[in-house]
Amino acid sequence: MTAPDKQRYEQPIDRIIFGDNQFFGINHMSQDKAQERAERFAKLDNVMAVYDHAIDAGIDAIMLNSNDRAAGICDAFRANPAKYGHLKWYPSIPYPHKYAAMVNDKGMVGAVQEILFSKGAKSALGKMVRGASAVATLDAVKLMKMLIDEEMAIYDGLDVRCVFLQNIITDLMLGYDVPDPFIAYCEYIRERFGAWPGLITQNLPFLHAKLEEWGIEGVVICASVNKIGYLMSPGVAEYEADLAANDGAKYPVMAMSTLASGAVPPVEAYDYINRLNIQSVVFGASSPGNIKQTVSLIEPARAEAAE
Amino acid sequence: MTEPLKLGIIGAGRMGITHYSIANAHENAKVTSVADPSKLITTMLGKYAKVSTYKDYKGLLKNEELDGVLICTPPAFNPEILEAVYERRLPAFCEKPYVLNAADGAAFAAKYDAAGIINQVGYVNRWNDMFTKAKAFVDQGLLGQTLRFRSEMFSPTITRDIGDAGWRASHANGGGAVFEMASHAIDLIAYFFGSPTRVGGTSLSQVYSKQVEDIVSTSLFYDGGANSGLSGTMYVNWSDASFRKPTNKFEVFGSQGKLLVDQHGMKVHLAQPSPEYGLKEGWNQLYITDVHSSVPFYVRGIEYTAQLYDFVAAIKEGKPVRCTFADAAANLRVIEQIFADDAALRRVGAAA
Repeated sequence: MTAPDKQRYEQPIDRIIFGDNQFFGINHMSQDKAQERAERFAKLDNVMAVYDHAIDAGIDAIMLNSNDRAAGICDAFRANPAKYGHLKWYPSIPYPHKYAAMVNDKGMVGAVQEILFSKGAKSALGKMVRGASAVATLDAVKLMKMLIDEEMAIYDGLDVRCVFLQNIITDLMLGYDVPDPFIAYCEYIRERFGAWPGLITQNLPFLHAKLEEWGIEGVVICASVNKIGYLMSPGVAEYEADLAANDGAKYPVMAMSTLASGAVPPVEAYDYINRLNIQSVVFGASSPGNIKQTVSLIEPARAEAAE
Repeated sequence: MTEPLKLGIIGAGRMGITHYSIANAHENAKVTSVADPSKLITTMLGKYAKVSTYKDYKGLLKNEELDGVLICTPPAFNPEILEAVYERRLPAFCEKPYVLNAADGAAFAAKYDAAGIINQVGYVNRWNDMFTKAKAFVDQGLLGQTLRFRSEMFSPTITRDIGDAGWRASHANGGGAVFEMASHAIDLIAYFFGSPTRVGGTSLSQVYSKQVEDIVSTSLFYDGGANSGLSGTMYVNWSDASFRKPTNKFEVFGSQGKLLVDQHGMKVHLAQPSPEYGLKEGWNQLYITDVHSSVPFYVRGIEYTAQLYDFVAAIKEGKPVRCTFADAAANLRVIEQIFADDAALRRVGAAA
């Protein structure tokens, strides 16, 4: 892989990103549908076949959460650089269920200890927390960097353009009203990966206002945007006003949940999205027809070029 | 503008840190102090969030000027905390199941109510848009006379042997599928119909746990009052790896129709169309996207924000509380009936 001419965060983000919700049994609408999908995509070949359809439709950018299936998927992409080497990556971290399961098993403190010692007492994390008083003097920023490295290891060697923090973490931290972790996250993603820092949120206007207040710029904000206001706090009107006033060079916005879990038909959904000041769209679909249709609705020229 | 409410968090575990974020984002509230035995948690919060931190509730209640507290500790600790909070006459939001026996529960409910102290319990399904919609349908008589219900809950909480460490491993600490999971399924029943009179045919099974149950089923009966003759069943399994998240399923059958509802959707089958609600004869499907409400700030789900905003509104504006200590005490009475029924049936089994 050749290094990009300039830092990747100096280049604009892609207009169309292919997401991963369709693979991992996440369906806010129907648990039966979620189950069907989970069965189908338990096989890696079926997952890769969908990516191939997406690439055929002209897509060259992928968002993938660092869940327990992601390592295998990344391996498959790395194994065929001739076919996949041109793809641009938008990982999201962490995989929240991994940590939720740890908390179930061991409680909060036990889970933290498990994370810290998972690589053994001689690992970097282990060394950092060794000794009885270590916890009290723990450097949270250093710890966060180590956890990011651990989550990002599976994407090694891929052309990473933006690293997103999952909304459960972004929004939890947002409520604490503390700038330090946001500043540290954004700086580290730029410095370590040369990529855009990204924040996924269900509270776009609130996050946007806080980032401006804290003087944090150059961040991709990924948020649900759909005409019915699904997963958009506080509501559609506030989102529309915020987007209209947004400087997309400082805060590129990537829309997700554009179909509101299927409640809005695609033509209507993208007619709405295309009228807003939105730089990018992430969507998931599994049939070649739906993928092609979505690409043509977001960017007709690209769909024609792919034909 | 009035001063924001000052709130204290007692217990900064998973629920405590979630409630902290939501409450702190409220335009009329601020979290100003946290009590937790974990030095890691209090050090981080003190350093970054700059709140006062304490190793337990005693220091927090002694030193802090507060308008309310959020009690998010394992329930075995709650009686002494509730007593101390009562002494300070502070509005209290307490995580479910609140305490571990019905007598304590009823006593604290009576004390707080008599003193006019706002009290709320975090049975969060009462704020879920799908369940509130389903309850409205039932209350408005859409299903005719309600005859039967089924309340189920599934989660992948305990899917391997985790040993006896941690507070989840014993009933004395509030562990087990009944206290932790079935309490939600029981509360949904109570939310729809009030508390049942008695239970029967209880069965508790273990899958991985050694001292507590992983699966519980029982039948619940209403012997008098407005719902006399109503009955239903409950099935709860917290060792079910086929579910990725805790999921409640609730079914109500009435003389004019039935509904099946979970956190994300609802199916309604009606004998007669209901133009008033836009429902046709036969099957109707409602999705969460059809009924979702909006909250000012979202962390884990609309219902988590809605319940805490109600708590703040109760303190600031005297608005009514949707789930009180008395409601949670009634659920504890059902939980005790379930354990007693199981013990009685085991004695019968052993004698046979």
